[in-house]
Amino acid sequence: MTDAAPVISCRNVWKLFGADPHGYLASAGRGQSFEEIRKAGYIAAVRDVSIEVGRGEMLVIMGLSGSGKSTLVRCMSRLIDITGGEVIVDGQDVMALNERELIELRRRKMGMVFQSFGLLPHRTVLDNVAFPLEMRGQDRHDRRERAMEVIKLVGLEGREEYFPRELSGGQQQRVGIARSLAIEPDIWFLDEPFSALDPLIRREMQDEFLRLRGMLGKTIVFITHDFDEALRLADRIAIMKDGAVEQCDTPDRIVLKPATEYVAKFTEDVEKSRVVHAKVLAQPINGHPVDGPAVAADATVLQLARQLVNESREMLPVADKSGRLIGAMNRQEALDILLGSV
Amino acid sequence: MKKARLILGGTAAILAAAGAAQADSDDPIIIPIHNWSSQIVMSHAVGKILEDVGANVEFVTTDSQAVYESVRLGDVTMELEVWEGAFGASFRAALEKGGLHDVATHAATTREDWWYPLWTKEACPGLPDWKALNDCAAVFATPETGDKGRFLGGPVDWLKHDQERVDALNLNFVVVNAGSAAALWAEIGAAEAEKKPIVLFNWTPNFAEAVWPGEFVEFPAWEDGCDTDAAVGPNPDMTYDCGNPAGGYLKIAAWDGMKEKWPTAYETLTKVSFTNPQIAEMAKLVDVDEMEPEDAAAEWLAANEDVWKPWTE
Amino acid sequence: MAVTDLTSGQVRRFARPHTAAVLLALAALLALAKPALPEFLTRVPGWAVLPYDVWMQGLFDFIKDDLGLIHVTRTISAGLEWLLDITANLLYGKNRWPYLGPIPWTAVAAVAAVTGYALKGWRMALLAGGTFVWVALVGQWEIAMQTMSVIAVAAPVAALAGLLLGLAAWKFPRFERALMPLLAVFQTLPFFTYLLPAVIFFKVGPTAGCVATVVYAVPPMVLMTALGLKKVSSEVVEAGHMSGSTRWQMLRHVYIPSARTELLVGVNQVIMLSLAMVVLTAFIGMPGLGAKLLSLMNSLKLGRSFEIGVTIVLIAVTLDRCSKAWVVKQPEHFERGTPWWRRNQVLLIGIAAFLGFLIVAQFVQVADHIKRDQDFSIGAEIDGVIRAILSNKAITGITEWLRWFLITWVLIPFRNGLLWLPTASVVLAAAAAGHFVGGRRSALLAGAFFGIVALTGWWDRSIITLYAVISAVVLAALIGLPLGILAARRKKWAEPILLVCDTAQTFPSFVYLIPAIMLFGVNDVSVVFAIFIFATVPLMRYTIEGIRAVPEELLEAADMSGATRRQKLLKVQLPLALPTMAVGFNQAIMFAFFMVIIAAFIGTQDLGQELQKTLAGNQLGKNFVLGMCVALMALSFDHIIMRWSANRRRALGVF
Repeated sequence: MTDAAPVISCRNVWKLFGADPHGYLASAGRGQSFEEIRKAGYIAAVRDVSIEVGRGEMLVIMGLSGSGKSTLVRCMSRLIDITGGEVIVDGQDVMALNERELIELRRRKMGMVFQSFGLLPHRTVLDNVAFPLEMRGQDRHDRRERAMEVIKLVGLEGREEYFPRELSGGQQQRVGIARSLAIEPDIWFLDEPFSALDPLIRREMQDEFLRLRGMLGKTIVFITHDFDEALRLADRIAIMKDGAVEQCDTPDRIVLKPATEYVAKFTEDVEKSRVVHAKVLAQPINGHPVDGPAVAADATVLQLARQLVNESREMLPVADKSGRLIGAMNRQEALDILLGSV
Repeated sequence: MKKARLILGGTAAILAAAGAAQADSDDPIIIPIHNWSSQIVMSHAVGKILEDVGANVEFVTTDSQAVYESVRLGDVTMELEVWEGAFGASFRAALEKGGLHDVATHAATTREDWWYPLWTKEACPGLPDWKALNDCAAVFATPETGDKGRFLGGPVDWLKHDQERVDALNLNFVVVNAGSAAALWAEIGAAEAEKKPIVLFNWTPNFAEAVWPGEFVEFPAWEDGCDTDAAVGPNPDMTYDCGNPAGGYLKIAAWDGMKEKWPTAYETLTKVSFTNPQIAEMAKLVDVDEMEPEDAAAEWLAANEDVWKPWTE
Repeated sequence: MAVTDLTSGQVRRFARPHTAAVLLALAALLALAKPALPEFLTRVPGWAVLPYDVWMQGLFDFIKDDLGLIHVTRTISAGLEWLLDITANLLYGKNRWPYLGPIPWTAVAAVAAVTGYALKGWRMALLAGGTFVWVALVGQWEIAMQTMSVIAVAAPVAALAGLLLGLAAWKFPRFERALMPLLAVFQTLPFFTYLLPAVIFFKVGPTAGCVATVVYAVPPMVLMTALGLKKVSSEVVEAGHMSGSTRWQMLRHVYIPSARTELLVGVNQVIMLSLAMVVLTAFIGMPGLGAKLLSLMNSLKLGRSFEIGVTIVLIAVTLDRCSKAWVVKQPEHFERGTPWWRRNQVLLIGIAAFLGFLIVAQFVQVADHIKRDQDFSIGAEIDGVIRAILSNKAITGITEWLRWFLITWVLIPFRNGLLWLPTASVVLAAAAAGHFVGGRRSALLAGAFFGIVALTGWWDRSIITLYAVISAVVLAALIGLPLGILAARRKKWAEPILLVCDTAQTFPSFVYLIPAIMLFGVNDVSVVFAIFIFATVPLMRYTIEGIRAVPEELLEAADMSGATRRQKLLKVQLPLALPTMAVGFNQAIMFAFFMVIIAAFIGTQDLGQELQKTLAGNQLGKNFVLGMCVALMALSFDHIIMRWSANRRRALGVF
């Protein structure tokens, strides 16, 4: 997934707020800590972030409030101009785009979902969803037809003439999702899309989201402050603190090997067996013959729990979907994860 | 340009052929109306007379002092009641700047002076003599004037020199200026209920005469120079030791351009002249009989055809 | 957050009064030492009073004639006149293009009723339709339509101008910084100062009235537009950007619709201010309800003036309620497949009613216009009632005593006291008050404002103006605050009292000037009384709103702490309501400054009287100088009180 050219790539991105951020960044250099910058009278929202998102990949950016995650995603779509570094989207340096080109990029390639939905209160569901199409000048009939398609996709059929205030929070977010999908974007930004929703609805929307994701196969940048949500949805997670990325890796590896103490605080209470997959535990076979039936690479340790307990073999072969052997898993190691003694 | 002139000429020819008025413009003649009844009725009456000779007439409400500036600029065409006392200054100032002129003078004369409603005489029997008034000054006393009598003057900007007269004639009165004519009427109205004595500024012709019968106080008669030369009048050391002139003019002013633009109407306007009783009658129709000004004008015209018909011929 | 603010506020509160107290002590010292003071501290000496009015006049003449501004304004006024002629023709049949009017009163009333229904249902329909029926039945149709024809032009023009200025202020912060103080001045300038330039630059009659009305009504629209645009949620804005909107699309489809509520609140205020001003423009010859009112008062017809007052209130209430209903009206969806005539049902009914009455009016004269002898005016009867009340022995007894008491023991001593104070002492006291609430900057501001007033040479008249304002506001506070507190504690009373407030505020002020004179005579009691009626309204309103806004939770907490009703009021409700009440107090003062100028109508010796004189004499320069004196004093109060209220709110952690 990450081999091909990345769709989004951030290189040493900085975003400072304050009186003269460019001047400060040029003079003070790039080694400053968050506290030092703050003392100089600036807020470092994004601090030297380098990150890449591959085609079809879903990157979840996780952090607590004020960690700079929302700012980072806005740097990627250039809702905010960055102070230093580069953001390359689809081979284009977004900071080099002029207004016309930027608008064109958004009209063709990007969609975004917002925490508080960002719906236009004076427009019906249909008109909200058709809004991006209207902006790019599609004719009325076409855009309504397309909007109806997406409305059906998110399960709001029959509500298309409602106004946002007549809908529940979950329904409003479905409208937001439908709107962001209306132009069939390649890149999909979601800024804490489910944070404003009740826990039950949130769960339901996450499932819905996974369904859509499987169906559409888009490149996704997803922001959340909820570590469980990140683990549940992500291909890779970037954990941010004070504007910088603490660790960026797959959920399994973050759980197994937190890079910093800060990350470890999040992983502490996570039931790792739910997160860690067999494929991550698979070691190269190196000639040691491993016999017996193989376990599925995509199974979590928890899913394998019964087998692990009843098994007598020391090493278990791991096979991917096509049945190809990719390695062997140490049963004791997996049991340790299951029992939480790692 | 040529074309326009042709059309104009053509229109004029047609009008002439139709036997209508010679060359009066079709543009409306604009007559200003102010906030007192006689002027409003008179304006409507003259308006109807001018319509009778074929003019288009329109009315605008304007301020009675600012109107002279508007007449000068031609924004309005005429002013039918130029009071010597109240508007003489504005009128003369506008005359000097040019743009308007004096068209005609009404037969009516105006008088503005200290005045009292008749019931006041019971408390001060020597009236209308000013010395008698001074002797019973105490009956006009109010909390704000202490033991002196109160004279209620008009708004200060009417420049009536009441204070100067009080000083020159050594009157036991304090001058309190009302802010508007309405304030004067309100005071009379309030005094009426208990027949309280009151002396205040008033003028004629005016609707108040019809509602509250009264008289002017007789001060030493006006002589020319009384306001400029201390020697004139009973007090040898001071000016304004006399009453106001009893026969002030009431004029009609018009925009200079009117004569050319509406010659027929202008010709009629030069003949317009009302008398005091006629003006009082017009004001009464509105103020006492509660008619609307337009109806009052129509009624008055119907009843007095012999007065105004000759003006149109 | 709130805690740190509280403590820093505390620190400041200790630091500031110190300097403020020194300033105040200095002011008192100057006053006490008056006999020993050099002349220039008691009053600004004559040689220091520069001929500002002459300079201003010169400046105006230069702009007007040499720069040729008058040609520009006259062109504008030609355009406005064209618009005014259209509405005038449609509404009352003025003989101008398009030569279609007048629209029959029944048709107008029907459209008003349908509009009311569309906005808020049957009751609103009844109010809107009923208002126009009343206007027609009392025989005021034509004059009311003269007024409406100007509002119909002035309000949209003002709203549009306000929208554009507000947009510019929102887009360019530097422009906003320059504009805001100007707007503050505009909002405090006495209305006479609007009127005279309007006449000179825009011709007498409806055009000048329309311009004055527009200028007067623009500020709130500008403020609300800027506020509304700033408040648009950042996510909605980002959603717009992410949808690929161009700048124009952002404005048209995202910002303006999202700021709808604030914009419509602005429109509501524009309409109300237009209506208030359009009546006052009678002073510069605007025809309509105001002019009729003036001429009725000049012949002491109390009954008919009262009827006109009622008409104005009804129109004001209708316009107010309808525009407010429009603010809160949210779109309702129609199910898919609803036929078009169902979607536009109300519009169709409106058109049908309009056409229907148009046709009926061709055949039935009463449906077209009501003749003089057909109207139901009971002016003469009302007149009798009012006169009977005003000459009632019991009432005149009381008023006579009040007049004597207030004049001899309160007003005159207070006025003389204020006049006796040395100028320097008053300026210092203003600076002290400024320092108390806002530190050095506010002190300089308040001191400078009063200093400028002193330098214009109109000090004594300014002080007399101030005296009337303060007397009336104190009186209003003595009566309005207890009433407000009482009303706030009983829900049942609040509604009727607020209704009375609304009515008193929209009732044209000069209608009660005449009864005031008849009760108290031409003197300061009448003046103070007239201002008092006007100033009590905001005091009561804000007291009620402030107390009601105290969170229920806090009251429950007080109840559970065993507070008596009195303790609850004194310890919980009033302290929390105080910042809001201060806003009401401020508005009362602003209203008083507005009204004291109108009170020149009764007869005063203050700035208002001088202003009224300039109106007759076309003295633009002097008019402007006098207007600035009023505005500067009002702005000083405004600054100090609003600053205090803001400090208080911050200290309490409420916004």
